[in-house]
Amino acid sequence: MNVCKPNLKAALSESLFERIPFDPEKSELTGYSNYSYWQSTFRTFFKKRSSVLLLTIMCAFVLMSLLYPMICEMIPGWETSYRNPNFAETGSATWNLAPCAEHLFGTDNIGRDMWSRTWYGTRTSLLLGFVIAFFDVTLGTIAGALWGYVRRIDRFMTELYNIVTNIPQTVYLVLFTYILRPSFWTIVLAMCLTGWLSIARFVRNRVVAIRENEYNIASQCLGTPLFRILIKNIVPYIVSIIIMEVALTIPYSIGSEVFLSYINLGLPLDVVSLGNLVSVGKNSFEVYPFQLIYPTIILSFVTVSFYIVGNRFADASDPRNHI
Amino acid sequence: MSKTVLSVRDLRVHFSLRGKTLAAVRGAGLDLYENETLAIVGESGSGKSVLTKTLIGMTDKNGSIVGGSIEFDGIRLDQLKEKDWLPIRGKRIAMVFQDPMTALNPLMTVGEQIREMILLHTDLSKEASIEKAKKLMEQVGISADRYGRYPHEFSGGMRQRIVIATAIAADPEVLICDEPTTALDVTLQAQILQLLRRIQRKMGLSVIFITHDLGVVANIADRVAVMYAGEIVETGPTEEVFACPVHPYTRALLRALPQLSTKGEKLFTIPGTPPNLYNEIKGDAFYPRNPKAMEIDRLEEPPVFPVSPDHTAKTWTMHPLSIAKWGDPRAYHTPGLGRAPAVPETYSPCTDEPLLSVKDLSIQFGTGSKAFRAVNGVSFDIYRGETFSLVGESGSGKTTIGRAVMKIIPTAGGEILYKGKHVNRRFSREEIKQYRQQVQMIFQDPMASLNERAKVDYIISEGLYNFKLFKNEDERKAKVSRAMQQVGLLPEFASRFPHEFSGGQRQRLGIARALIMEPEFIIADEPISALDVSIRAQIINLLNELKQEHHLTYLFIAHDLSVVRFISDRIGVIYKGSLVELAPSEELFAHPLHPYTQSLLRAIPMPDPALRLSETSAAYDPSVHDYREDKPAWTEILPGHFVYANKKECDEYRRALQ
Repeated sequence: MNVCKPNLKAALSESLFERIPFDPEKSELTGYSNYSYWQSTFRTFFKKRSSVLLLTIMCAFVLMSLLYPMICEMIPGWETSYRNPNFAETGSATWNLAPCAEHLFGTDNIGRDMWSRTWYGTRTSLLLGFVIAFFDVTLGTIAGALWGYVRRIDRFMTELYNIVTNIPQTVYLVLFTYILRPSFWTIVLAMCLTGWLSIARFVRNRVVAIRENEYNIASQCLGTPLFRILIKNIVPYIVSIIIMEVALTIPYSIGSEVFLSYINLGLPLDVVSLGNLVSVGKNSFEVYPFQLIYPTIILSFVTVSFYIVGNRFADASDPRNHI
Repeated sequence: MSKTVLSVRDLRVHFSLRGKTLAAVRGAGLDLYENETLAIVGESGSGKSVLTKTLIGMTDKNGSIVGGSIEFDGIRLDQLKEKDWLPIRGKRIAMVFQDPMTALNPLMTVGEQIREMILLHTDLSKEASIEKAKKLMEQVGISADRYGRYPHEFSGGMRQRIVIATAIAADPEVLICDEPTTALDVTLQAQILQLLRRIQRKMGLSVIFITHDLGVVANIADRVAVMYAGEIVETGPTEEVFACPVHPYTRALLRALPQLSTKGEKLFTIPGTPPNLYNEIKGDAFYPRNPKAMEIDRLEEPPVFPVSPDHTAKTWTMHPLSIAKWGDPRAYHTPGLGRAPAVPETYSPCTDEPLLSVKDLSIQFGTGSKAFRAVNGVSFDIYRGETFSLVGESGSGKTTIGRAVMKIIPTAGGEILYKGKHVNRRFSREEIKQYRQQVQMIFQDPMASLNERAKVDYIISEGLYNFKLFKNEDERKAKVSRAMQQVGLLPEFASRFPHEFSGGQRQRLGIARALIMEPEFIIADEPISALDVSIRAQIINLLNELKQEHHLTYLFIAHDLSVVRFISDRIGVIYKGSLVELAPSEELFAHPLHPYTQSLLRAIPMPDPALRLSETSAAYDPSVHDYREDKPAWTEILPGHFVYANKKECDEYRRALQ
């Protein structure tokens, strides 16, 4: 063992061995952990460059689809020019134009500008995605939290889930849009009617895992009502799941709208949406491939970036990945 | 002096965690001699597990050795590459881990797992290795016929025996045991300690034993090394360190033990909390918590001073100038060692009327064929103003009883009466409101019992919100800050989140949350067993003070009889859902009657090297009772001393008492 060095003895003065006053605050000072859940989640998420890139792309698309129609309507004259997605100049000279400086994505078969149609379509599709995600996730979270926490309804909900999810969602979608008049809200209704259940199932599994935690029992001992336990003890722990579900439901809904429009059961043709653009574009694909390719590229970017960002966030929100 | 097997010099291990550097081991030095058991004792976060993991080259991915050396038989272990570890790890230095439930492969028979270790490190033939594996099983006290069994067919204690057999399979020179008994019940712990001691002697092993329990240290170790904030602050022979600790931390740790303190007196406490190793530590790491700290403790890190030939301490109190000024620390003697045997006391509660009375309580989990009786016909009374303890091993149903009294789980039979009123029935809103105010609960694990995503302000006032126990926001805030002051926390902390608090502070928050309801009766479910040794005394004192101040009555649930003795007036011992004995606390220690109580008492490791566990202490075997004809009943043998026994046993017990 490295025993006391002799020169040290000489160097120390006696005054150093006086007692110092005890500071109770200092003794308590250093004990806590500096871990913060959200900080660590965001740090883990932003550590990957590709996540940041995809998030930027995602935001850029959302912004563009919001801003373009807005600018269009604000600047005088634009509304009645080719920048309006439904405006078509008379005469076949402007039909099926290839991409050029004035029409970045070219024009369609009656001379409407594809660039503006694409952004208007993205706006419709994103709006649809957000609305569906909002209803699906809200309903799914409430139902899932109850399903997981209240043991009595577990059996009923599990059976309901089994019955409903045994029939493919495509069948519901096709049936609903077939029976009802095709419209924005028809698609929302058809998607939400079953979509919330799978989210609820996912939420339920997480709630079951945290249900038995001691702080929930402590709340019960304090007489906390069920509703407040759910709001204060359960939901804050599944916020990351909620965010992830939103991020994943949006591309799924957009994809479903495209599919429905493709089989002519989607939105009415006078509504500009990515689904309708793809559906119309496929008809002239062999002659004018850009009419299909450009909207499809935008569609792919939107869905893929939402999907990957959602997954990356789910990974980052797992405390096991917080190193 | 015997030969040094393993020597660690000025070892430094750093971790990088979330962008910060954590100095887990800060210049630790120790020697392990041949054929000895060295215990490394320290609180959670003191770096003891990191130190030992480093000794076998298993530091976690984000950790690295940044200084110092580890030498084993001429090999510098700190410089070894992963492939060079193969002939050493498991072969020459073996390890036993804490949790026997996860240390074995569930898909492989236990015999094969032992044989695998033999084949890996020796070149025995198949028959010879099977033969050796069977011999090893016998050696750790498991019949060799069970060679082909799977781990799930064994209990926790048996699995730990198998883990030990795999560890010694390759005839190692050094065996490192990382808290091998922490996950086990006290009677099993005693057996494993005996087994380790026997193996150590027989094989001439050098054992490093890591633990946080000073009782275990006193029972197994030849020498002890005390670790604090990543440093070894004191090393020496066990008897000497226990009797004459020199470092202020070791001293305080021993003085704060309830087992060595006198009942009725206030416990000595160590103020504050262990340091956060993310921060840079200057001087003596313990000085902020040491009321007798000197100026130099703040400025300079102390060197290691020799205390006696084999006893060293890293503290300035051993410096000649300090000795001249404040006296020689070697003259100190730990009070409470060599404690006299218990004197039976005649305790009688202050009132005749029980506050809580449990009559023939049964609790069942599951239904039909899957039903499991967790609690079976338990009866006891708790009188106003007393501390009643329920003691039992894990799975004995003690927590279940507490939760049934809290109305968290339904009962299957019997009655719970609080102030003479039935509790286990449907309550009206008003009744619930009253009951929740009068009866509150404190939980075991302060890490799990606070909602991490809520602010302290909400956590403490949760009960107030539930029953609207405040007129306006100001009154609520005043109540919260009063509750926080009562448990010794600053009211400013209310806007923080729980993760900003240490374990002891979090337990105080849990107590404040219960206290704000102004209860009369508190169920404390193992409130100190998850806390560090240096924090326990603070919480015990706090509970005792609050009891005096607010005239509280406690139901104390615990597994450690020795701690319970210090705080309780009466103790009930519970075994597999049935109460087997109930007596005033000192009476129970003086005259344990039921064989289970006796085996529990024999198995407690006392933090006193003079009171080592006897070699013969055996586990309780329920088959000693012959209840076929003579049915047992809950009998009062002496006034206030109850035991679950049949007529024949009662006669024996009475004879023994006279």
